[in-house]
Amino acid sequence: MRGKFSTLSIYALVSILLLAGCTTTSKGATTEVTKEEDKTLIISLGPDLMTWDIHNHTTTTTEAIHVNVFDYLLMRDKVGEIQPHLAKEWNKIDDTTVEFKLNEGIKFHNGEDLTAEDVKFTLERVAKDDTLRSHGDYDTIKEVKVLDDLKFQIITTEPDPMLLSRISRQASGILPKDYIEENGWDHFENSPVGSGPLKFVEWKRDNQVVLEANPDYFGKKVTNVDQVIFRAIPEDSTRVAELLSGNIDIVANVPPSDWERVKSSDNSQIVNGPSNRNYMIFLRTQEGWPTSDVKVREAMDYAIDDQAIVDSLLNGGGTPSLSRVNPGDIGAQEELYGKYNYDVTKAKQLLAEAGYEDGLTIELSGPTGRYIQDREVMQLIAGMLEEAGIKTEMNLMKWEPFVELREQQKFKDGYLIALGSSFFDAGQSLNYYGTDRASSINGYSNPEVDQLLSDAETLMDESARIEMYQRVQDIANDEKPILPLFQIDQYFGVSKSIEYETRMDELIYIPDIINK
Amino acid sequence: MWKYLFMRLLQIPPVLFIVTIMIFVLVYIAGDPVATMLPADASPEEIAQFRHALGFDQPFYVQFGNYILDLIRGDFGESYQYGTSALGLVLERLPATLELATASMVIAILIAIPLGIISAVKPNTVIDFFATSFSVLGKAIPNFWLGIMLILVFSVTLKVLPVSGTGSYAHIVLPAITLGTAMSAEITRLVRSSMLEILHQDYIRTARSKGLKYSAVVIKHAFKNSLVPVITITFLQAAALVGGSLITEMIFAWPGLGQLIIQAVYAKDLPIIQAAVFVTASMIIFINILTDIMYRVLDPRIKFI
Repeated sequence: MRGKFSTLSIYALVSILLLAGCTTTSKGATTEVTKEEDKTLIISLGPDLMTWDIHNHTTTTTEAIHVNVFDYLLMRDKVGEIQPHLAKEWNKIDDTTVEFKLNEGIKFHNGEDLTAEDVKFTLERVAKDDTLRSHGDYDTIKEVKVLDDLKFQIITTEPDPMLLSRISRQASGILPKDYIEENGWDHFENSPVGSGPLKFVEWKRDNQVVLEANPDYFGKKVTNVDQVIFRAIPEDSTRVAELLSGNIDIVANVPPSDWERVKSSDNSQIVNGPSNRNYMIFLRTQEGWPTSDVKVREAMDYAIDDQAIVDSLLNGGGTPSLSRVNPGDIGAQEELYGKYNYDVTKAKQLLAEAGYEDGLTIELSGPTGRYIQDREVMQLIAGMLEEAGIKTEMNLMKWEPFVELREQQKFKDGYLIALGSSFFDAGQSLNYYGTDRASSINGYSNPEVDQLLSDAETLMDESARIEMYQRVQDIANDEKPILPLFQIDQYFGVSKSIEYETRMDELIYIPDIINK
Repeated sequence: MWKYLFMRLLQIPPVLFIVTIMIFVLVYIAGDPVATMLPADASPEEIAQFRHALGFDQPFYVQFGNYILDLIRGDFGESYQYGTSALGLVLERLPATLELATASMVIAILIAIPLGIISAVKPNTVIDFFATSFSVLGKAIPNFWLGIMLILVFSVTLKVLPVSGTGSYAHIVLPAITLGTAMSAEITRLVRSSMLEILHQDYIRTARSKGLKYSAVVIKHAFKNSLVPVITITFLQAAALVGGSLITEMIFAWPGLGQLIIQAVYAKDLPIIQAAVFVTASMIIFINILTDIMYRVLDPRIKFI
C-alpha cells in the first residue's frame, strides 16, 4: 500500500512541478510576446502577411502592413481624397503624360536616397511583368521617363484618367532599386527596405511581423509607439479573446456575435466606419432565365428591404444604395446613394406582369465566411424574396469554390457578392455593365452603356467623364442587371487606450493612430 | 532484424512517389488556383493572361511531366501564394508542429497512465468512474470547442495563461491540452482494460502469493505486460497528431503546419500541399517502423519476418 502511495505521490509531484514551471514562466512570457513595454502597439488583422513582394499579392490585410513600410507617390486620406505623398506636385503634360516632382531628402531605411530611378524601376516592373498579380492594375503604364533625381514623367499607352488612382492604392509602394539589384529579390523578401514610417525588424511566418518606428521619416512620424507588431491569428474567437484579455490593441473583423462581449468589456470597444465595399446581387439577363425579364429583376429589388438587413444583421453599420459607386468615388451618382426600393405589393404586381402570378423558383449562389455576415445576409434575402413569391434556393459555399463557380459561370440565376472599389473610381466599378465584361457574367448588354463606358475610359475631361458615369448608373438603375444592396461598414475591436478611426480603403496607417 | 529493416526502408520511396502522384492528380482535377490568386474583380482577360503566364493553360501531360521531372530532382517548386520554396516553407513550420505534438503526447501519457492504472486497480470506485467518464468525454469533445473553452477560462477569465501565439513554455500548455485530451482519453481506456485483463491472470496471483508488494506487482508485472497494445495506440496516435493538429493550431495561432496546409488547400497551392504531404507521410512511415521495432524490444516473442 505504501508503494502505491509513493508512485502516486511521485506523479503528483511531477505534475505540480510541471504546472508550476508553466505558470511562473507564463507572466514573463505573456509580456514577452505581447506587451514588452507600453510603447508597443499590437494589431491582429487575422491572416499572416502573404509576402513582402508588394506586386505579388491581392489581399488588403497584407497591404495594410505594406503601406506602413513603403510609401506611395500619392496617398488617399481617411475619407478617400488623393493627397501628395512622395510626390509633392504633378502636372498633366498631355493626354498620355503626367510629370511628377518628388519631395526632397527622402531616404530609404538603409540610408539611400529615394529618387526618380527607384520610381521607374518599381512601376515598370509591375507594368511589364505579366506573372505579377498586380500587373493587370498597372499595364496602362508604358514608360517612366526620368528627368532628373526628383522629376519624372509617367507615360501611358493611351489617355488614362485613372492614372492617379492607380498609383495611390494597393501595390503602389516605391521600392529601392539599388538595394534589390545588389542583393536580389530573395534577400529583399527576407529583409525588406522601404521608405515608410515603420522599418522592418522581423517576420516569423504564421506568427508575427515586427516593425519599428522610423525616426528619419520624411512625413508624419510615428512618435507614440516604438514598435508595432502584427500578429497572425486566423481564428476570430481567439482574436477577440486576445483583445478582451488586454494583449492586443486592435483586432480586425470582429464577428457580430462578439460585438456585445467587446462592448461590455472594461477595456475594449467596437470601432466601425464606412468601407468602399458594397453588397450586390448579379442577375442573369440571358434568354432562358426568369431574371432575363427586367420586371422580375425589379420585383426582386422591391422585395428586398435593404435597411432591415443593415439594421438587423449589421447593427446599423451600412448604408443602402441603388448604385455600387459610393460618394467619394469619382463618378458617383449621389442621388442614388442612401436610397432603396422596398414594396412587397409592388414586387408581387411586377411578378404578375411578368407572368409569374403563382410565383417562381430561383437559385442564388454566395460565399460564406468571406464578407461580414455573408451567410446571414443571403438567408434574410431568401426569406424576403419568398415573401414576395420568389422561392429562393441558396447555394452557399466557401470562397475558393465560389470564385471558381463564378469564373466558370456555373451559377444559376445569380449570386451575392460584396465587391470593393480600391480605385475610388467609377471606371473600375462600372465596367461590369459593359457588354465585354458582362458576357462572361450575366450577359447584360446595352449599346448606350458600352459607348459611354468606352468614351469615358480614355476621356481626360473629368467633369464630362463624371457625367457619363452618372448616366451609366441611371441606366443601370432602370435595367437592374445587378441589384446594388448596401455599402458596408468595417468593424474593429479596439482597446480603450487607443483612438482609432477606420479608413475607407480598409488599410491601417499607423501614423494616424493615437495612443491616448 | 536488419534485413527486415532494410526491406521496410526499401518500401518508402515507392510509397512516397505514389502518394505525391495521387496528390497531383487530385489537385489537378480540383482545378487551377489562378482565379483565387487574383482580386475578386479581375476580368476574364486578366485571369486568362495570368493563367497563361504561369503555364496553367498547358495540357495535363506537359504539366504532369514537368512536375515529375522536378520531383525527381527533389524540387517541390515555389508556392503560388508566397512565391518562395514550398519545401522551405514546410520545413520552417515543422518544428512548431513537432513541439506541439510532443507536448501533447507527454501530457496525454502523464494523465492517462496513472489514471488508467488506478482505475484498473480500484475498479468501480469514484476514481474509476472519473477515469471512464474522462475516457468517453475526452474522446467525444470536439477540439475546437475545448480549445475555445480553455481560452475563455484560463486566459480571458483567470488570466493565468496566454491566449495564443508562441514564445514561452506557458504558450504551449493550452494547445497541448486541447490536442492531447482525445489521445489521453484513448490511452486511459486502453491502459485500464488491458490492466484489468492482466490483473486477473494466474501469474499475477502467483506473484502476489509469493508475498511481493502490491505496487511492485502492479508496476513490474502487470503494467509492463500491458504496454504492448498501449504503445501501438500511442504511436499510431502520435502519427495522427502530426497531421491532426491543424484545427488546434488554427485556434491558438500556433505557427505550425496547420495554418499553412489549410490555407494551401483552399488556395490550391499544389507545391505546398505536395511538400507538406511528402513530409508528413515520411514521418508517419518512420513512426510505423519505429512502432514495429518497439514491439520487438518489449516482447521478444514477436519475430520479424
